[in-house]
Amino acid sequence: MLEIKHIRKSFGRNEVLKDVSLNVKKGEVVVILGPSGSGKTTLLRCLNFLEKADSGEITIGNKNVVIQNAGRKDILDLRRKTGFVFQNYNLFANKTALENIMEGLVTARKVPKKDARNIAEETLKWVGLHDKADYYPSQLSGGQQQRVGIARAVALNPEVILFDEPTSALDPELVGEILELIKKVATKGITMIVVTHEMTFAQDVADKVIFMDGGVVVEEGAPKEIFYRPKEERTKQFLAKFIIPDNMYYI
Amino acid sequence: MQIDVKAIFESFVSGLTYLPKTLILILVPLSIGLVVGTSIALVRIYKVPVLSQFFAVFIPVYQGVPIVVALMVYNLIYLMKTNDVLKFFGSSKTIADIDSIYVGLFALSLMMICSISEVMRGALLSINKGQYEASYSVGMTKPQTLRKIILPQVISIAIPALINTTVGLIKSTSIVYAIGIAEILSGALVPSSRKYTFFEGYLAAAIIYWILTILIELLYSYLEKRTSIFKTGKTENKKLWSLKCWRSNTSEKALAEMKS
Ligand SMILES: Nc1ncnc2c1ncn2[C@@H]1O[C@H](COP(=O)(O)OP(=O)(O)O)[C@@H](O)[C@H]1O
Ligand SMILES: [Mg+2]
Repeated sequence: MLEIKHIRKSFGRNEVLKDVSLNVKKGEVVVILGPSGSGKTTLLRCLNFLEKADSGEITIGNKNVVIQNAGRKDILDLRRKTGFVFQNYNLFANKTALENIMEGLVTARKVPKKDARNIAEETLKWVGLHDKADYYPSQLSGGQQQRVGIARAVALNPEVILFDEPTSALDPELVGEILELIKKVATKGITMIVVTHEMTFAQDVADKVIFMDGGVVVEEGAPKEIFYRPKEERTKQFLAKFIIPDNMYYI
Repeated sequence: MQIDVKAIFESFVSGLTYLPKTLILILVPLSIGLVVGTSIALVRIYKVPVLSQFFAVFIPVYQGVPIVVALMVYNLIYLMKTNDVLKFFGSSKTIADIDSIYVGLFALSLMMICSISEVMRGALLSINKGQYEASYSVGMTKPQTLRKIILPQVISIAIPALINTTVGLIKSTSIVYAIGIAEILSGALVPSSRKYTFFEGYLAAAIIYWILTILIELLYSYLEKRTSIFKTGKTENKKLWSLKCWRSNTSEKALAEMKS
């Protein structure tokens, strides 16, 4: 369903992605873990060409694109098959919550305005913000903005939604409810790739966990394998930082 | 010194008869400036090769030239070369058939293009790149992103600076008087030269420019309210808020008066 092969990306002399390949099945939830600077964001951004990788191949659904030959049309096609949820929401500042969701439907997908409005209202209700339809992003809290951000991606009904640390910018007390919402997206059967540092969440929803470090996929597998029987030393070291607090209950 | 109120009035009326000319001198350079200036700003933001380098040099250099100097240079060129150019193109017209207002329009338009391009470039630079990325991520093209997401935000950010630029333009229209174009200032001075009431003439011109400036500022502040709702909250809230301020101001004043 989604396949990336041999993606490479450098910023100047800094090689950020070193031959990354990945396979995601339809409906699967893939969680990407890894230390800061390991290339997780860059990988997601290369998937929908917010960043143009240097080489490799991306297939989403029935669309296959070889990076070097990617034309404007290919990029647009890929983007219209993906949704993106940003770490800092990136809602359109000049649009209300409802318009934020409608914009992509109307302008990019050419959905008639009336239908787009219905879809947007329904999705807004689904994320629990039907009463905030006419609010501008500046009038919404971080948590509410991210709900709209998620609704904007979901409403487009893409083949895959990419989440880049969707809760990292939130106040701690708001993280839980957004994670719940992302779980709800997962239960809709939408294919998702989620970059996160929320380990409990990862164990809960992931069908597959990928551990990245230094621009390579170090290890991948089912959550049980990665969290309880990691094979690679780097994975163990990384997880140790997160798992210790959990064990404290048993001390 | 005696101020002749009647002379002010006469000059005012006489100046106003040239209002259409001044409006042309404002609206044409403003429109050209907005369209071309915004385009140049985009060319520079998107780093279009050659053009962006050209404008990066041309605009600061040109802005260093005082508008009067530029106007005089264009006027000399106009005086010396118009007939040659007309002949070259096989026209039977002469300089007498070409209104010198075009020289004024040219100088003022170029001035506006430069300053508006700088205003717009600044506003464009202030837009978070996340706005572009979010727009691309929902599948919008570059032109769609510009039209629907970026420019509406840019315009609302740019309005305060555009007010300044336009007020500057209104004042600058008076300098075309120097190359003999009849506009508000020269109009206001027509009665003056008959009756030696120059002070009253300039005063009348000042009042007209002042009124024009106020009108432009009102227009912009209306536009600003219309376009910047998203920055401050809903218009209703804003109105309520300013009403509240006004009330508290007036009640404070009333209190102060009662005490004194
Ligand atoms: N636009 C960019 N220009 C230059 N370097 C970048 C850019 N984006 C990311 N990098 C570099 O790429 C590396 C990986 O970054 P990133 O993908 O954001 O990592 P992660 O999301 O895993 O923290 C970092 O060293 C970062 O400095
Ligand atoms: Mg990141």
